[in-house]
Amino acid sequence: MNVKVEVFSAPGCNSCGQARQVLKSLTEEMGSGHFEWREVNILDELDYAVEMGVFATPAIAINGELVFTGQTSKDTLRKALQDLLPGKQS
Amino acid sequence: MTTTDKSLRIGDVAQLLGMSVDTLRYYEKINLLPAVNRTPSGIRLYYKKDLSRLRFIQRAQKMNFSLAEIGDLLKMREDPQNVRDEVRSLTASKMQEVEEHLAELTSLRNEMQLLLNLCRGSKDGCPIIEEINSAEIDADDR
Repeated sequence: MNVKVEVFSAPGCNSCGQARQVLKSLTEEMGSGHFEWREVNILDELDYAVEMGVFATPAIAINGELVFTGQTSKDTLRKALQDLLPGKQS
Repeated sequence: MTTTDKSLRIGDVAQLLGMSVDTLRYYEKINLLPAVNRTPSGIRLYYKKDLSRLRFIQRAQKMNFSLAEIGDLLKMREDPQNVRDEVRSLTASKMQEVEEHLAELTSLRNEMQLLLNLCRGSKDGCPIIEEINSAEIDADDR
């Protein structure tokens, strides 16, 4: 099953673009076929963002669960994604 | 009540709780508040327990509970182990209403917190709020 990644961003959020780029390069590195990802504009989906518990941007949810808020290092993201790839799950 | 309990006069209670003295007298008249202690000259004296009961009434009114319902809830508050089944059932139902209201308030608070966080750090006003406003204006124009 694909890993579902969502990046919550908002207009005026300078570090959102950076988070998006990091995620894009990571998913390419690990095989984009394993991932299903989308960018969520908080202003378009405010109810969903609140329901997910987003309080700041950028925020990243993996498989429907908010896992990172604010700037996150590439290594931390890589580890979080790797753990969910097929063959890595317990 | 103990002798160390500090008492307040009706005007002080009205000011403290933001209620009118007429309301305080009315609550006593309809037994939402048991007969308040009085000085020999008839001046009402309110103690901590009375204030607690009045605050409960205020909170319940903010939830739009009727005075009759509040009266029943106060019976539960006085003697939770010996109330009638209807009062217990009403309390459970009102608690459910409070839970739902609380969930709505929490969601509203979180949404406002999120919007404020998005605005923080922006020197040129609040682009987020402006964008929402312009989206609403566009929607109204449609």
